[in-house]
Amino acid sequence: MATQDTALEIRSERRSAAQRNALLMRIAELAPIVIVLFVLFGGALVLALLQSLGFAPWFGINTFPDFSYFGALWGSSAFWVSLGLTLYYGFVSTIIALIMAIVLSLALIKPFRGKILYKYLYKLPLMIPYTVGIALAVLMLGNGGILSRLLALVGMIDNPGDFPQILKTHYGWGIMAVYVWKQVPFMTLAIYAVLLGIGRETEEAAAILGATRRQIFFSVTLPQILPGIVSSTLICFAFNVGAFEAPFILGGGYPDTLPVVAWRYFNDANYAFQLQGMATVVSIGIVAGVILFAYLAVYRRYERMRGRA
Amino acid sequence: MARKATNTFTHLSPFQRFYLIAVAGLIVGPFIPLIIQSLAFRWAWPNLLPTVWWMEQRERSPIPLAWDYVLSPYSRVYEATFNTMVIGLAVTVICLAICLPAARVLARESFRGKSSFEFFLSLPLIVPEAAIGIALLMIFINLGLAGSYFGIIIAHLIPTIPYMVRMLTAVYQGLGREFEEQAMILGATRWQILRMVTLPMLMPGVVAGALFTFLVSSNIFLLTFFLGQGKIITLPTLLFSKISGGTLDASAAGITLIVSLPGIILLIISERFIKEEAFGKGFGN
Repeated sequence: MATQDTALEIRSERRSAAQRNALLMRIAELAPIVIVLFVLFGGALVLALLQSLGFAPWFGINTFPDFSYFGALWGSSAFWVSLGLTLYYGFVSTIIALIMAIVLSLALIKPFRGKILYKYLYKLPLMIPYTVGIALAVLMLGNGGILSRLLALVGMIDNPGDFPQILKTHYGWGIMAVYVWKQVPFMTLAIYAVLLGIGRETEEAAAILGATRRQIFFSVTLPQILPGIVSSTLICFAFNVGAFEAPFILGGGYPDTLPVVAWRYFNDANYAFQLQGMATVVSIGIVAGVILFAYLAVYRRYERMRGRA
Repeated sequence: MARKATNTFTHLSPFQRFYLIAVAGLIVGPFIPLIIQSLAFRWAWPNLLPTVWWMEQRERSPIPLAWDYVLSPYSRVYEATFNTMVIGLAVTVICLAICLPAARVLARESFRGKSSFEFFLSLPLIVPEAAIGIALLMIFINLGLAGSYFGIIIAHLIPTIPYMVRMLTAVYQGLGREFEEQAMILGATRWQILRMVTLPMLMPGVVAGALFTFLVSSNIFLLTFFLGQGKIITLPTLLFSKISGGTLDASAAGITLIVSLPGIILLIISERFIKEEAFGKGFGN
């Protein structure tokens, strides 16, 4: 009896030692990614918040906690115009790109001649930097650009000044064109992947049961591709809100979008403005965070209502 | 009826046919004037083609004038290409080393808080880049890392890790445990199993992840521009400095083509590696 007990004890000790080893192993495997992301990403966000609240001892500024930087920023009407422009470019381009991507992926899942080549071709914008897209926008959409020349060819305008201004206006058509051009392939990839995964049987079943094309899309296809839509629009919207190069080159100047405003503050000779820049950066983060988390919350609620999650 | 239903699933409608062509035109079309621009000598409004091509000016310059500049050291194209490659390779290697072990745990073990942990790993994708860039710049200036290769490589890890870890987790999930268990039964050590069983089986996924990470890194503008402080230029930041005035001359057109080249090459070799599945995964479920 006693020996049996000791044997059991030894065995359980051995097992717990093995468990401890496995746990240590697991921690060791996760440690690098946790350290890099927590330190770099988390650290950067925390430090940005501290600085925006007046903690910058390396400039000899330490008035933490000091809400005057946010006060000064949020008190100016230019900030709200900038915020509005940032969100407007982000929203409109995400929605246009999403609609174009859904239509494209629905066409892509059908068989057609040259499909293999097409699947290379449509990914091209995904592979090259945004600055290339901006260069193409300058070439095509500028007042002396190709579109303007085409209009002159058909006799609609007589000099470059007559061409409607697309670039460098606060309507931001040029900025949004670049975002859409670059992001339609990205969203298409995500939605097309989901479409491939679910197959077409449910849609065919709905068609045989007499559903119209519109009914099939809105009640069968759309709910199924929603995960792809949500993840790709989240990423694209966040990118658009935080992007710098397109609004800097193609934007209408003052008032700029928030990332450009933050950059200008940051490069100001007056160090104190850097803290104002940090307050701008934190504001971008807060606004984007609130919108994206609300979006995710609504989506999860919807999934739970459908009983999927 | 049934025939009509199958038709709508196997044949493009006329609108879809038109749409596919229109999208292809929008994507590839602008590259045609770009190539023309890089070969033009004089191309004034409203001509659709240059009035003076480089060919007519061959006595002045043996190769297209813009390309003469682009291929000379003055354009800094070589320097930018070199930097892009070095940074991209370093980021890929480090990213792989960090993400491989993590992907194994995420694919094969379950633990408390796993779904929130996965959400945390995706977070860098949905935090605006400008926020990360400026906040990191402040830290890096204090640490003396601003304008250094090391600083830029570290910063590039932030947007690349989420993709890499997703792609590798998917690969591990598709990989059965049986082969590794058999090796263990046959007396292989942990290191031997990793080197001779797991890694070879993971290879296709690892290649895909590595190519994609390299691609993302070589396309990053904002983090390189903010943290490079003008000391380190890559292809995207070089192009930015050429077009920041809002005009595109012949040499800028040439540089645009050069900057597109790595992506086009990667597209050709990697189309079959880049699995659509890594993008289809939802956020936080």
